[in-house]
Amino acid sequence: MNHPQRAAVFTSDAERTTWHDETLWFVRQKRDKAVYAIPEFQQLRQLASDIKEHTLSRLDEYLEQFERNAQANGVQVHWAADAAEHNRIVLGIMRGVGATSLVKSKSMLTEECHLNPFLVQNGIAVVDTDLGERIVQLREEAPSHLVLPAIHLKKEDVGETFHLHLGTPKGEKDPQALTEAARLHLREKFLVGQVAITGVNFAIAETGAVVVCTNEGNADLGVNLAQVHIACMGLEKLIPRTADLGVFTRLLARSATGQPVTTYTSHFAKPAPGRQIHIVIVDNGRTRQLGRPDFRASLKCIRCGACMNTCPVYRRSGGHSYDFTVPGPIGAILSPNIDLHQHSSLPFASTLCGSCTDVCPVKIDIHTQLYKWRQLIAQANELPAAKKWGMKLLSSVLARPGVYRFGGKVAREGLRLLPHGLTHATAFNPWAKARELPEAPKQSFREWFEQQSSIPTGQA
Amino acid sequence: MSSSRESILAAVRANRPPATALPPVADFGGEASVERFTEWLHFIGGQVVRLAPDQPLEDAVQQLFPKAVRIASNLLPATVPVNGQTTTEVLEAVDLAVLQGELGVAENGAVWVPEANMLHRALPMITQHLALVLDHRHIVATMHHAYAAVQHTGAYGVFIAGPSKTADIEQSLVIGAHGARSLVVLLR
Ligand code: SF4
Repeated sequence: MNHPQRAAVFTSDAERTTWHDETLWFVRQKRDKAVYAIPEFQQLRQLASDIKEHTLSRLDEYLEQFERNAQANGVQVHWAADAAEHNRIVLGIMRGVGATSLVKSKSMLTEECHLNPFLVQNGIAVVDTDLGERIVQLREEAPSHLVLPAIHLKKEDVGETFHLHLGTPKGEKDPQALTEAARLHLREKFLVGQVAITGVNFAIAETGAVVVCTNEGNADLGVNLAQVHIACMGLEKLIPRTADLGVFTRLLARSATGQPVTTYTSHFAKPAPGRQIHIVIVDNGRTRQLGRPDFRASLKCIRCGACMNTCPVYRRSGGHSYDFTVPGPIGAILSPNIDLHQHSSLPFASTLCGSCTDVCPVKIDIHTQLYKWRQLIAQANELPAAKKWGMKLLSSVLARPGVYRFGGKVAREGLRLLPHGLTHATAFNPWAKARELPEAPKQSFREWFEQQSSIPTGQA
Repeated sequence: MSSSRESILAAVRANRPPATALPPVADFGGEASVERFTEWLHFIGGQVVRLAPDQPLEDAVQQLFPKAVRIASNLLPATVPVNGQTTTEVLEAVDLAVLQGELGVAENGAVWVPEANMLHRALPMITQHLALVLDHRHIVATMHHAYAAVQHTGAYGVFIAGPSKTADIEQSLVIGAHGARSLVVLLR
């Protein structure tokens, strides 16, 4: 299935689609309010972009500096070329300490690597502890948003899931009561978790510390009760200095949810006495993206989700329609790097309106990159047949004025004379799904112009 | 060591873009007032209580948390002793932790709590309720000033901004996700 087909599944429930659209737009509005309250916000975006760009330009040096400092802090640093190696490393650490249970806070990287199924296959009990992630884990679904993993679900859905798995009363759908049930259920898990995995929002080269931003407190609770902390990070998470956090912590939560800052901004550098910290640095296609001048700016992403909240296509098609770990506009420029063939429909899941680029806190030129991927996808012969032949036909018509004129005439007459059921048949004209074609004018502009110029000048 | 390390670093070296400059550390000024700090902390679900100069901390805590029995603190006589070795079972039963905050941030209500002030790293999150004592002269305007003042974030340290919260169910805000259910800042 491609994006339009998966989106069709989502939009078949019109009411839910509208609700999803409005909910995410509400998040976008909260973002706007928070952003407009900061007079220097645009300067902050530029700074964030410049810091990230600089870091990418010397990334090897910063990675080595980070590793040196982390090791000096007593942290064990691991390197993984791809998802499989990442998963093997995590399993190895768990086996090394004889652990069979794991509590996880939010980490899109481990989603990207499909760590959970791998560990479960190997006999490890994995519990996602972020509330939204726990909900989708219980439902055996993937997160549908970077920061709001269960945004595709309504409270009734969550109530049903908790009734099945946590034994809440049937029909209970009050968010307060459901959250309390999850709190109690997950506390039990925190208390016995032997190993805790977290993602990483920022890795600081000059100190070797990793910074994790959460609202629930689940990352800190898991890590500080477990014997072993494994922090998994993509290699683009580096920033040079502690002081740079001033810029990024001011941007991240405001862009994501409109909060002035996340509840917990936690800095992990040294393990507590007798405990361990491991950091796994993952490539998994990132160095390849770094080598693509047109697309390397996508590595500046701080995973705030603002581009999906604002995207008219994401809001109305849902995160699962992208079928990629990172959905939305940023997912559509990251995914073709991983597999151009499999994800060839994603760069077309956009109106190219540019709203994503406008809100992105690190100034990634997202919509330009979407456009560029389209060119590459066409060159690689990955366009769907209808789109390809449609484009070919269109360009040959546009290149021949005579054909164009004749075609216009036929279309004007045709639209007037043919029955609606035929001109709007979605089999021939997918554009006409839920849309009306404009009323056909009687004459073309050219015909009108010729008529005008035959009227003697001087008379109005 | 691992060959992936070498191959990743080699690929980064080969593919990295032309050098650009690292911008100087930013500072945009801003208002470092108690009022602004208070406003923001309220906005994110926390509470600010001003202590009179001669008011004992115990009194204020007793008034605010009359029902708290198991109290962990190094600032007042505690009922639960906590240190780095305290077991999870004991930590889990703590009703209230009263800890020293080092620094408040006016633009967002966050308070810097370094490891040295926590008694146990998990205490600020596992406690049911959290009270942070803060010197009103230690409020800075923005996160730029906060990091400038903190300088090095140490072995472990957290900016805590309000009580633990989530909006993962239909975007409705619920206070008290996994961490503390309430947060009070006691301003001296
Ligand atoms: S691309 Fe920009 S807006 Fe989208 S998630 Fe990344 S940082 Fe946020």
